[in-house]
Amino acid sequence: MEAQAENKVTEAPVATGAQTQDPANNATGSSMTDTQNVTGSQGKPAAHETKSHSIDISSMNRGEGSSLSLEQETTCLDVRNMDLFYGEKQALFDVNMTIPKQRVTAFIGPSGCGKSTLLRSLNRMNDLVDGCRITGEINMEGQNIYQKNVDVAELRRRVGMVFQKPNPFPKSIYENVAYGLRIQGINKKRTLDEAVEWALRSAALWDEVKDRLHESALGMSGGQQQRLVIARTIAVKPEVLLLDEPASALDPISTLKIEELIYELKDKFTIAIVTHNMQQAARVSDYTAFMYMGNLIEFGNTDMLFTNPKEKKTEDYITGRYG
Amino acid sequence: MEITTETHSHHISQQFNNELEDLKTHLLAMGGLVEKQVQDAIYALTEGDSAVAEEVRANDRNINEMQIRIDEECTRILARRQPAASDLRLVMAVTRATSDLERIGDEASKIARHAIQLAEEGEPPRGYIETRHIGNHVRNMVKDALTAFARFDTDLALKVAQEDKAVDLEYRSAMRALVTFMMEDPRSISRVLNIIWVLRALERIGDHADNIAEYVIYLVKGMDVRHSSPETIEQRLSND
Amino acid sequence: MRESLGNWTKSGSPWIWLNAGAVAISVIMVIGLLALIAVRGLGHFWPASIMEADVRELNGNSFHLVGEKVETVSVPVEQIRAAGIEIDTDQELVDRHLIKIGNRDVHGTDFRWVLEDFIEEVRYPENLIAVERHEWGNFYGYLLALKEKDKTVAVQAAGENSIWPEFKKRVDRAVEIHDEIYQIEKHEIGRINYAIERLRLKERRLEIDGENTPENLAELNAERSVLNAEYEVLQQQLADLYTAANRDSFVARAMNGQEIEVSLSKVVRVYQPNRMDILDKMGFYSAKLWEFASDDPREANTEGGIFPAIFGTVMMVLLMSVLVTPFGVIAAVYLREYAKQGFTTRMIRIAVNNLAGVPSVVYGVFGLGFFIYFLGGNIDQLFFPEALPAPTFGTPGLMWASLTLALLTVPVVIVATEEGLARIPRSVREGSLALGATKAETLWRVVLPMASPAMMTGVILAVARAAGEVAPLMLVGVVKLAPSLPLDGNYPFIHLDQKFMHLGFHIYDVGFQSPNVEAARPLVYATALLLVIVIALLNFSAVAIRNHLREKYKSLEM
Repeated sequence: MEAQAENKVTEAPVATGAQTQDPANNATGSSMTDTQNVTGSQGKPAAHETKSHSIDISSMNRGEGSSLSLEQETTCLDVRNMDLFYGEKQALFDVNMTIPKQRVTAFIGPSGCGKSTLLRSLNRMNDLVDGCRITGEINMEGQNIYQKNVDVAELRRRVGMVFQKPNPFPKSIYENVAYGLRIQGINKKRTLDEAVEWALRSAALWDEVKDRLHESALGMSGGQQQRLVIARTIAVKPEVLLLDEPASALDPISTLKIEELIYELKDKFTIAIVTHNMQQAARVSDYTAFMYMGNLIEFGNTDMLFTNPKEKKTEDYITGRYG
Repeated sequence: MEITTETHSHHISQQFNNELEDLKTHLLAMGGLVEKQVQDAIYALTEGDSAVAEEVRANDRNINEMQIRIDEECTRILARRQPAASDLRLVMAVTRATSDLERIGDEASKIARHAIQLAEEGEPPRGYIETRHIGNHVRNMVKDALTAFARFDTDLALKVAQEDKAVDLEYRSAMRALVTFMMEDPRSISRVLNIIWVLRALERIGDHADNIAEYVIYLVKGMDVRHSSPETIEQRLSND
Repeated sequence: MRESLGNWTKSGSPWIWLNAGAVAISVIMVIGLLALIAVRGLGHFWPASIMEADVRELNGNSFHLVGEKVETVSVPVEQIRAAGIEIDTDQELVDRHLIKIGNRDVHGTDFRWVLEDFIEEVRYPENLIAVERHEWGNFYGYLLALKEKDKTVAVQAAGENSIWPEFKKRVDRAVEIHDEIYQIEKHEIGRINYAIERLRLKERRLEIDGENTPENLAELNAERSVLNAEYEVLQQQLADLYTAANRDSFVARAMNGQEIEVSLSKVVRVYQPNRMDILDKMGFYSAKLWEFASDDPREANTEGGIFPAIFGTVMMVLLMSVLVTPFGVIAAVYLREYAKQGFTTRMIRIAVNNLAGVPSVVYGVFGLGFFIYFLGGNIDQLFFPEALPAPTFGTPGLMWASLTLALLTVPVVIVATEEGLARIPRSVREGSLALGATKAETLWRVVLPMASPAMMTGVILAVARAAGEVAPLMLVGVVKLAPSLPLDGNYPFIHLDQKFMHLGFHIYDVGFQSPNVEAARPLVYATALLLVIVIALLNFSAVAIRNHLREKYKSLEM
């Protein structure tokens, strides 16, 4: 009973809070942002500024994220009024959000809040679950990916996914990375060699494995396996990379490597990451979505969300008062 | 999101709760001590009680130690708990507030030093009325700022910011009066200068109290209102 | 301090003892079984010494005894007396020996029971000879003379050994000629006969199709005349060889004093066991063992080897594996990956599992009724009308036997494969799908290779079951003596329609259908041992393949 009541309460703010951030809120919410935008130092340092001996002030403003705002982003995936049901049970309630292009969007929330479900519906992985039903739409470049005539395999090639546990195939490292290309019918050795090297380099794995490309991938460490899986996914050059708790099974150093990798990959890919580790979301993402019991509670700039969230549920969750 | 005093005690980790509570308590204890220092310094000045003034100067060391201790606590919480949102703002506000409180302590100590000099010279000079007035005013500001911190009360914090404005006005008029006095009686210049230093210190204390009030607003509302006029602050608070 | 019984029970020690005991009993039983059949079976090939003795029975009968002692049993005296034999002893038990006297052409029987008490003067003369013959069993006795074209060329008195080397030389020549004859009869004439038969079928075919134009027939006749010419040549060769083989003969005295003459063409090997030392005997032993494993059977399967049976068994099992694996795997893949899980699939699974429990002879009946009479009959109608009324596939044969066994073992493969498919981590499938692979590609490239060890487990179980089956095979293709192997040099090389021999059935046949029980019994053991070895080898190779796959697709332990 209580849970249902809560859902009702939160449904309204979701709609306003998530898609169209109240401009007034935005302005008062981050005066820092405003001042920085005025100085106009984001991306292009002002030319007329005289150099002083002391610290270059503009360099302070160059830090990313603080001046990000959803309105200025190009939309990659657009989720519209999405409800998702597992049989009779509704798992997602009227989710509306846009995933911005070439940014890292993190999904946080307690277990069972639907964040993985939402992520998996972005490349229709939920199709594999019996009794999974979706209403509403998810648009990618203006096309609803849940339309009947969409080629799911092609969609999944464009929207790659990395899972919680490293799941390399029981093949050699090389064959793992080449797998996606072979599926597409690419079998020319030179093309494959180049693609494999590119993917492994992009995944910061090349130097570690270049001498044992033809050994089994199962002999690698967990962190290497996960980076291999990422390499395998980016080898097919997807547009979107979905990461479902990619570092939850790894040690802290491997986790950092993965995070570093995410940072490097966001120039080329749109990345959506689900994580249980709030600090990780805070570290790697540009935008963060907080979900609770199937509702998207709050979605916005990561800096804002982690310093001054708008919703009490978000505040309670990220400060550890969720209970 | 706005927070209340209750917010920080509902953490799942009881340990974390306690740490945050301790942090707040320690800050308020430090604030209490600083407030007493200010009060004692003004008392020593106006009553010419150099014993109290000596005591104030001696106590300043305690305040410094408290600052260091509280800062250590903050560092520890940052390192071990990685606080987010209101917890993070609390820790940030506390570190900043300790720094301001320590400065207030320094100013009080400075006043006490002048009080000793003035007491040695005997008769009470001109300007003690203004000093007492402004002194009481800033003492109340410090008290209010700390109360606002203790209660997460943004209204009270806003009031402190507005008071600072009034203190500045009073300070300026007192300065004018003292300058006039110095021009009238050049023999008293050195003594009046002491008073001016005291007034200057009191004005600084007011500024620091204003800062603490702004931290309270940052802590509670999550908005950074430093370097804004009280009107702007009031407007932004009412918009929220 | 003594432990109380309660504590001992609580500690779990009794349970451990119980477990260890059960394992020990199993191991002992398996080892015991193997040891029994090994000792009984392998001992048969050892060249036993030939004893010579005089037997004097109490009723006055007496005779000369020459033969191998095969077995000794203790029999109660009463039993002997009840059988009407007088015996003079106060012991309760007397030993009775089974003596293999051979010379079935002389005595009418190979074996003779003799009481220990009647035997006098046992001796092992070195010059006794044993002759293994193509017919009438072994001969034991003294060599007297050698003849060439009915003329005596060498003579010796009984008990002498002067003409043995000459005898040996002539026997070697005869054996060589015999091998040559065998080669021609079995292979070359067999090939020509097969070709002529094919020509006949072709002609019949042309007739049925209405294409028996004179040109076509002439062509066939030309081919036939070539073959006939070849046949004539071979026939001539054979006649020459037979003459050569029948040139020599030997005269020897059997134990009852009768002198018989035996043509050397009937001789397989001659030896003098009493003269052999241990090395000779070991050489002889291995030769006999090799003959057993590699030769055709003789004398109603009681002599010679069992190679066709080994070959048939292995062939049938391999063919069965080839048939059952794809069938079972495809069925399992459909059930597990594609079929909608529900009532129907559950029913199918139950049905499949129950199928595994149906008695095998039922499968034999099904195979006979459905495969042979229905399918085979129709195939004959459609594809081999020229051979009718003689059936081609409408009669028990290798293919139907393999198919029947495949049907029998398919549940095992289905269950094992399904189990393997279910064990593939979901994450690996999802990983493949997330790369843009379709379900079929994922199955083919990732899931099936990873499930292959489980499939091999299924095949191993199937092989174990199939290799041991006899009952259904008797209905669908196994015979006690197949004229030729199902795999030879004649097109199309594998003859799926042929009947074949099988070790299991061979055991049954030799053990229970043989006219010469005493001679056959050791062979039963030896064949059983060989069957166990064959099954073990088949299983070991399957296990080796599985382990290799397992290493390759070591599933992600997560």
